[in-house]
Amino acid sequence: MSQGSFRVWPADWGRQQRSSATMAAAGVVLVLMLWLMAIPMAWAPEPIGNNAQFFAEGTRVTVQLTAIAAVAGVLIGVLAALGKTSKWPPLRWVASAYIWVIRGTPLLVQVLFVYFALPVMIPALQLSDFTSACVALSLNVGAYNAEAIRAGLLAVPKGQVEAARSLGLSPWFTFIDVTFPQAFKISLPPLVNNIVALLKDSSLAYAIGVVELTNVGNRIQAATFQPLPILLTSATIYLLLTTVLTQISNAVERRFDVEGRVA
Amino acid sequence: MNTTAAVNQGGPLITVDHVNKHFGPAHVLRDVCTHFNAGEVAVIIGASGSGKSTLLRTLNRLEKHDSGRIVVDGIEVCDDLKELDALRSEVGMVFQQFNLFPHLTVLENVTLAPRRVRKTPREQAEAKAMELLDRVGLKAHAHKHPFALSGGQQQRVAIARSLAMAPRVMLFDEPTSALDPEMVKEVLDVMKQLAATGMTMIVVTHEMGFAREVSDRVLFIDQGRVAQDAPPDEFFGAQRNERIRTFLGQIAN
Repeated sequence: MSQGSFRVWPADWGRQQRSSATMAAAGVVLVLMLWLMAIPMAWAPEPIGNNAQFFAEGTRVTVQLTAIAAVAGVLIGVLAALGKTSKWPPLRWVASAYIWVIRGTPLLVQVLFVYFALPVMIPALQLSDFTSACVALSLNVGAYNAEAIRAGLLAVPKGQVEAARSLGLSPWFTFIDVTFPQAFKISLPPLVNNIVALLKDSSLAYAIGVVELTNVGNRIQAATFQPLPILLTSATIYLLLTTVLTQISNAVERRFDVEGRVA
Repeated sequence: MNTTAAVNQGGPLITVDHVNKHFGPAHVLRDVCTHFNAGEVAVIIGASGSGKSTLLRTLNRLEKHDSGRIVVDGIEVCDDLKELDALRSEVGMVFQQFNLFPHLTVLENVTLAPRRVRKTPREQAEAKAMELLDRVGLKAHAHKHPFALSGGQQQRVAIARSLAMAPRVMLFDEPTSALDPEMVKEVLDVMKQLAATGMTMIVVTHEMGFAREVSDRVLFIDQGRVAQDAPPDEFFGAQRNERIRTFLGQIAN
């Protein structure tokens, strides 16, 4: 399936065109799914059909959580990776400490911490349940992304920087035009791994009362005592979401694959 | 000497003055003093580990020298980023491993630095790049990515990429050492053609034919020192230095 979608496009389309088309199509599928999924679900028997709207809302919250934390997490990951590979020791210490703490503690504890413990320390940081979940998920995925991106940065041969610098490119343009695009390509598979994990881990937001997909399922189950259809429905929706996400990430991977090495 | 040596009559284009360099306990450049004139083709030869590549790399600060002074076209080689970028845009460098940017097409490789550093508009940079690619015989490959080219073709793109910045001097760090034998010639031909235009070139190489035929000067580096600095006919003719004779004998075999 992951390869098939790339072959549906006309044979004379280039790599970039196919990649763009796949991303656009997957984006449209995702939006349609979030917008219209309640309609076909309403045909299902109880307890799914009568709760179709509720499932659709939970799915939208799950996707929002994931999208926000994914974007923030990649930015945090880039910054932390740069910190950890910095020449300046204090930056390395800060980045290493952040990664050490986040990777060494459970995500559930982090979610609970941001929501319950942070306002105790700093009253101004009394965040809503949704915002708290976003913050905790972003920080969490950011730490894992940092290691993926750092590996990518270290994998770019030293000669690339030497060539760029010897052409007179500033350190900034050397990073933007030469190092980062190559590092990002190398980091992409582990980054996608992290974001797929993030989509599923966003379910932990239910612990602080965010009404996302898992929480919706739990609430309906508490009212109907029918775990089987409800958990099957939740799991199927997660599976569809990760499938769409994988399609998008495959398309991104192919966009960077100038050598045609991705099968 | 070449006829174009008159370009910079105020003095040499590059001056190397009492330069020392250590890698840990290894003293790789020992009090090196030399100079390179505008329009001159200088070839640096020497055994592996003698410090010849290091000397070349100190000229554009890819290696830091520990003491002494290096002045390139009036700019002292130092750590000031602005000065260093200005210096580097005047000094082209070609590497043993080509170091083309694999994620960019040939044309993008050649236009990147002019567009970013010189702020040349895209069309102008591309027109200039196509002209240079034509000169190195690769116009037809402009829209390919480096992986699709042979080693010799990649090295010729690397030369075009450096020339796109219109440098005052070109440094070559063993430009043919990573190439299959049949590709060495195509790269050397481009370099010969470049020398004929009066470009100032400093070439670290093991290609004695090139040194003999094209260079104005041959510098032999031995254990971090310039052991000999002579015109090629003198250097390859009645060589009196025992160590250089042995070296040349080993290379010839």
